[in-house]
Amino acid sequence: MKFRCERDVLVDALGAAGRAVANRGGSLPVLSGVRLEVAGDTLSLTGSDLDLTIGVEATVAGDGDGVTVLPSRIASDVARSLDAGSVSVATEGDEAHISSGRFESSIRVLPADEFPRLGAPAGEAVTLASGDFAAALRQVVPAASADDARPILTGVLMTPESGGLRLVATDSYRLAVRDLPGTSVLREGQSVLVPSRALRELERLLAGAEEVTLRLGERDATFEIASVRLTTRLIEGEFPNYRGLIPSSYPNRLTVGREPLIDAVRRVKLMAREATPVRLSMNGDGLELVAITQDVGQAHEQLDAKYEGAELTVAFNPEYLLDGIEVTPGDEITLETVDHQKPAVVRSVEGSEFLYLLMPVRV
Amino acid sequence: MAEHSILHVDMDAFFVSVELQRRPELRGRPVVVGGTGDRGVVAAASYEARAHGIHSAMPSSRARRLCPAAIFLPGDHHHYAEVSRRVMAVLTSFTPLVEPLSLDEAFLDVGGARRLHGPAPAIAEAIRRAVLDAEGLTCSVGVAANKFLAKLASEAAKPRASLQGTEPGEGVTVVEPGRELKFLHPLPVQALWGVGPATLARLDRLAVRTVGDLAALPADTVAAAVGEANGRHLHRLAHGVDERRVEPHVEPKSVGHEETFARDHHTRATLRRELVRLADSTAARLRRHELSGRTVTLKVRFGDFRTITRSRTLPTPVSSGPAIARVAKELLETVDPAPGVRLVGVSVRQLAHGAAHQLSFSEAAGGNWDDASEAIDSIRARFGDDAVAPGSAFGPGGPRVKRGGDQQWGPDAGAPPREPR
Repeated sequence: MKFRCERDVLVDALGAAGRAVANRGGSLPVLSGVRLEVAGDTLSLTGSDLDLTIGVEATVAGDGDGVTVLPSRIASDVARSLDAGSVSVATEGDEAHISSGRFESSIRVLPADEFPRLGAPAGEAVTLASGDFAAALRQVVPAASADDARPILTGVLMTPESGGLRLVATDSYRLAVRDLPGTSVLREGQSVLVPSRALRELERLLAGAEEVTLRLGERDATFEIASVRLTTRLIEGEFPNYRGLIPSSYPNRLTVGREPLIDAVRRVKLMAREATPVRLSMNGDGLELVAITQDVGQAHEQLDAKYEGAELTVAFNPEYLLDGIEVTPGDEITLETVDHQKPAVVRSVEGSEFLYLLMPVRV
Repeated sequence: MAEHSILHVDMDAFFVSVELQRRPELRGRPVVVGGTGDRGVVAAASYEARAHGIHSAMPSSRARRLCPAAIFLPGDHHHYAEVSRRVMAVLTSFTPLVEPLSLDEAFLDVGGARRLHGPAPAIAEAIRRAVLDAEGLTCSVGVAANKFLAKLASEAAKPRASLQGTEPGEGVTVVEPGRELKFLHPLPVQALWGVGPATLARLDRLAVRTVGDLAALPADTVAAAVGEANGRHLHRLAHGVDERRVEPHVEPKSVGHEETFARDHHTRATLRRELVRLADSTAARLRRHELSGRTVTLKVRFGDFRTITRSRTLPTPVSSGPAIARVAKELLETVDPAPGVRLVGVSVRQLAHGAAHQLSFSEAAGGNWDDASEAIDSIRARFGDDAVAPGSAFGPGGPRVKRGGDQQWGPDAGAPPREPR
């Protein structure tokens, strides 16, 4: 196998595929590597930890077809250290030579025949504008759980809803729901649970892209953005009945400017240390934010707001609250509440495509 | 070196002395307090028992072999805690700077009390008299410039046991300013805090026998032999340096309970039941101190004493029994109990004040453990600890509620083996 390309082409390709490489030891040693395949003038790179696989294609000057697996970390460090310009990569026996200008290095390769073969993507291909999809991911993915002990909650549910696509995630403390109307990706009754880790990688890849092609199969989901293909294993199991969590009506409704609320929460939360919450006191005069941490200090701020309902004080984890308001679209948002122990909902005044449900902190 | 104003007060054979007040007929005889069962350990031994080589932390079965005539008493932790509270109150009447280390010892900083009570050695004598007057118990006091030397000094002040009889100690040992190294260097190197069997073996290769031998070595040599951090620490101690202050309010870093079984358990089902019980008591204690914690740790000791711990950190602090039990049971799933489990423990770390609790959707849907926990606490406050207990803690004899200090030294001989029917 032998090819030549610009340094930046190699750095970008190794970087993209390398993000799926298993960084935890213990799995197959070959998975610490990136698979390179040259066919004609096309270089294909693949990194995988068996759950997540990222493949990249690049056009190079090919000088001999073949396959090899390079240790991901070393190959990427070497490529990045080079000066801009032409790089050539060639394999010889169990070594790969990377050379550029007067620099040359030989790297011991990993056994290519042990690299897992990946099946062709299954499922019908649907192409979406990447902007909307990226925005939906940004709104929903942060609400997924990071706790591997509860695998179902680490996923994002993709499910058909009124002829469109709905994305749902919850870590059992908050719930984010986003609808993409008119986007028909799944059959009626077909839902998939996509690992949030894969979707975080997808978010990075979507930056600057124009469209994304989805294939949602039975066991895998595949996303294609330009020359990059990301495949992830789906999470098996039943997602909790999230509809049952959303209260049917809210007696109290606060309407407040989004930016002023974000700024105020950021300021006041500086005095909410050691898992203490920020309290929101709502009455006819508006909204007051208060944070008090014993032996540290306190902060409060009054905000103009419209409030309909009974006078109420409710406490939230400020990070969870910010996660919701920051991704709610529009200039004004509503916060609807039942009481100080029931879920509260954040919505945009302008549209109903996004909903963020949040449990209070009991003090 | 600084003025000597640090006192270490150590009660003499505390648990045994307290027992002897209730059973004066046993005075002068070898008495052992601790676990009386096969798996018990010695918590305290009278000086008469010590003369036979019995010491605390020794398995009770070995103590029996060493002195078949010894009288074994089960520990009464609650009573000792009560007496200890009264002793600590006596100490606090001399200075507010009292740092209890356990039920029977404490550090005091009397630097600010000297104007009122005289020089530190005089205060030490006064404390001995006051404790004796108030409780009829003797203690030994070390006086020195820092905690480490004060503790060694109180050890030097202790009574000595031999088969010929107990020789009374000095009661108060003062390490005079300027004479610290004269006191310290002849002591065996094991006297240093942090010298266990492994370190001792390494130091032995360097021909280090006394603290003075150690102090004579360059710091680098010590670090190379026993590791960087430990080496630095030992080198400082060997020169009598210890800058720890007396801290009257040391916040607990973790709260937990553990249970040693009379017979090894081999199934998760039995262990889960124990975990529910231990989690319930741990939660009750957290709430009593108005604390909640984020990291739950499960400790498992197997029949061969191999001990493992498994932890999980939660996004939000918890203080309810069911919340702690849920995590402990999940952690138990990663442990294979088949070889036989001798002890399980549950503890909670990363403690925070206040009971701020992030509610979850499951609590919105079905019941709220905070409300239930409050109800449990008020029922227990009125009707006693075993008035309410988790369902799985009920046996034929009613509920078994874990209390602080229960079978701290192993299950008692009288306790029936607990196996599921």
